[in-house]
Amino acid sequence: MKRCLFPFFYRTKNYEFGIMKSNHLSHTQFGMMLFCMLIVACDSDNLTKPENMDVLDKRLSGGETTVFDATSHAFSTPAPNLSEDGLAKHLDGDLEFEAVFVTVPAEVNPGLGPVYNNISCINCHARDGRGRAPTSGEKLTSMLFRVSLANQVDDVTHGPAPVPGFGTQLNNRAIYGVPPEGTVTINYTEGELTTSDGAKVYLRTPSYSIENTYQPLPDDVEISPRVAPVVFGLGLLEAIPEAAILALADEDDQDGDGISGKANYVWDVRKNGLSLGRFGWKANQPTLLQQVASAYHDDIGITTSLLPTESSAGQPQYDGRGDDPELSDEIMDVVTFYIQTLAVPARRNVDDPVVQRGEELFDSAGCTGCHIPKLQTGTLADLPAVSNQTIYPYTDLLLHDMGPGLADNRPDFLASGSEWRTPPLWGIGLVKVVNGHTNFLHDGRARGLLEAILWHGGEAEQSRDRVQQMPASDRDALIAFLESL
Amino acid sequence: MRFNQHLEKFYCSTLSTLLVLSVFLIGCGLSGCGEDEEIDPVTGAAFDATTILNDFANKVVLATYTDLDNKASDLLNAVNALNAAANQSHLELAQTAWKAARAPWEQSEAFLFGPVDTQGLDPALDSWPVNRVDLDAVLDSDQDLTSASIDALEDTLKGFHTIEYLLFREGDQRKAEEITPRELEYLIATTENLKAKTGQLRTAWDASGENYAGEVANAGTSSTIYKSQKDGMQEMVNGMIVIADEVANGKISDPFTEQDTSLVESQFSFNSISDFQDNIRGIQNVYMGKFTGDGQGLNEFVNGVDAGLDARFLTEVQTAIDTIGAIPDPFRDSITSHRSSVQAAIDAVSTVQRTLENDILKLVLDGNFN
Repeated sequence: MKRCLFPFFYRTKNYEFGIMKSNHLSHTQFGMMLFCMLIVACDSDNLTKPENMDVLDKRLSGGETTVFDATSHAFSTPAPNLSEDGLAKHLDGDLEFEAVFVTVPAEVNPGLGPVYNNISCINCHARDGRGRAPTSGEKLTSMLFRVSLANQVDDVTHGPAPVPGFGTQLNNRAIYGVPPEGTVTINYTEGELTTSDGAKVYLRTPSYSIENTYQPLPDDVEISPRVAPVVFGLGLLEAIPEAAILALADEDDQDGDGISGKANYVWDVRKNGLSLGRFGWKANQPTLLQQVASAYHDDIGITTSLLPTESSAGQPQYDGRGDDPELSDEIMDVVTFYIQTLAVPARRNVDDPVVQRGEELFDSAGCTGCHIPKLQTGTLADLPAVSNQTIYPYTDLLLHDMGPGLADNRPDFLASGSEWRTPPLWGIGLVKVVNGHTNFLHDGRARGLLEAILWHGGEAEQSRDRVQQMPASDRDALIAFLESL
Repeated sequence: MRFNQHLEKFYCSTLSTLLVLSVFLIGCGLSGCGEDEEIDPVTGAAFDATTILNDFANKVVLATYTDLDNKASDLLNAVNALNAAANQSHLELAQTAWKAARAPWEQSEAFLFGPVDTQGLDPALDSWPVNRVDLDAVLDSDQDLTSASIDALEDTLKGFHTIEYLLFREGDQRKAEEITPRELEYLIATTENLKAKTGQLRTAWDASGENYAGEVANAGTSSTIYKSQKDGMQEMVNGMIVIADEVANGKISDPFTEQDTSLVESQFSFNSISDFQDNIRGIQNVYMGKFTGDGQGLNEFVNGVDAGLDARFLTEVQTAIDTIGAIPDPFRDSITSHRSSVQAAIDAVSTVQRTLENDILKLVLDGNFN
């Protein structure tokens, strides 16, 4: 029997923060967080086996930002390791994330539109969670459509070329009396696929038509559907060192594994140049600050110091009020901080043998070639909570060709029409409890995890084929693993 | 707040020494830690939460939504009567009906999860602020006003606060003769729309409809949402914490600390104090498992583990309701003229919040359920 002294710093495990979604909190109400330090000295042969640590570690998807909550609040809890000031700032941001904008002039939250996709952040990112495509007859609320001119790039950014009169995003809503840019009709064609053991999986292929435009839309417009992604854990992704992401890239597949991994380089407004893209379905945003400013600008019609020109400038909808920027830097800052510091929910059932079998299959089928399980964050200035964390996001933040089935055929900076950024998978098993649906992929076409897997093509085609050929019990184990995330 | 130093326990066979800094903790070695076994700290036995979850789903949530839907019907009738004869007594009846419908809605804010959220009903019923520029524009337009046409408008042009604005404008000063025919038309259409939404919400939970009540009641068994009874119980406690936090640190504190009446909830009707009290009554309902009928609440579980905590919490909740009620009406004036009563209410609700976070949530997370 070996004797060991095992210093066990296991903070997240030792305190759990129930909640969440709140509005406001006065600063005086917070005491400092207790960091419980558990130091265990014990006799155990098992202690020397690293896999035991692994089992424990793997629950902590977000390192010390992990929260143990499998309820509807799983995505909307502040990181438990925030300082007192950090928590207060987070909660200020929470309030602004929920702020509903109205037509100017108004006492509270003026500046909406004039054209927009939604009236608040939370209306798209419900409970900081995942959006979905509308069902038949439903309004488009948590999904939008990017547009651009084919075969052209923007003169300044070298990104997608705006469509005259429409910009780079279709604003399907507008303040009263102002014409929206257009509406979108979605149709699905049902298809069928049979697994090796004869099980049928139904896959629906969406098609989109832009209608009721306030002026004719040019013929050569490329359209890209995007559902609202989850917004927790993003500070951790921002804190991953650029070098670590680039080390995973293999654009020309020199290692011959059939998987490339390409970095996107996108327009960085503050830098006035190009930076590595990390966020968005095509990694077309370099920083969370710019992501936030772009969402206010493109989605709600709210200008900021970063993007001070109304999205409708040059269009007949433009109000010409000269009241820009409509949002203060303070609010832009706290909202950015808010999405940087939302907790990541812990995994469940990691010791279930079926889940463990699924995890092995996830690896052996090659899924981990892009959905990299484990990464280490670096140091992010003024964000100690997300710095130096071991995390399990299941992404490489790189672009991969996903084949013609998923292609939007709309390039976005260096991303081709069939390339998408590997989305993180953490929390994917909790989308149902948080958002009440299991629609996945960039356009929400997949109605469950298996459909989402079977839509993978291009670089992921081999992995997809392996899943299709699995015995049903293995496929179920794979899904059980994903549901434990 | 979300401030729960909760300690999860590990049990292992190989434990020899344990040193815990800052908080007492039952500790572990490592060999079995992943198994996450938890035993009720007092009784040692698993607690069957089936009745608590079932009564919460049916006797609290569904009962509250049913009452809301019935009160929305009453409001629609009152608005129709006002339209038929726009006199002061009909206006006052409609105002009373609005306040009556508001009560179950505010109580339901202690469980804002599930269909009310995933079907977009919360924003459609309770968006704030009202988009008054657009509302005026719609009233000035010649567009048809029906429940369906209102539905197509933004959520800031419908729901409780739009109706409140049309019925009250500012306190009880509204004169029936000031209400224009076009406003009456809008009032009927938007109240019909509200009634449709409350009906949708009720159906979403009802066993004869989409039966979301079943998803909660059957947590840990046939539920597709809640994999364990503990998840269901945690959802209940989370909901209470969120509303306590919102009342203490948002609804009351924000206008109070900013000295800004534009931030006051239900400011047109001067109904703020009732709103806040009903929010806390919602906590009381969830905790005691009651609405119109009486069932098993969370208190059954808490009492079994820590009867002192149960008694203390019941007192704290009632104190919070009473202390809010002691703020002189209207709240918008009291934030400057009666600061100590407002501060007392904040403190009382904060006490409720702290007990939920530090004690009750901890008990649930430590609990061993069937």
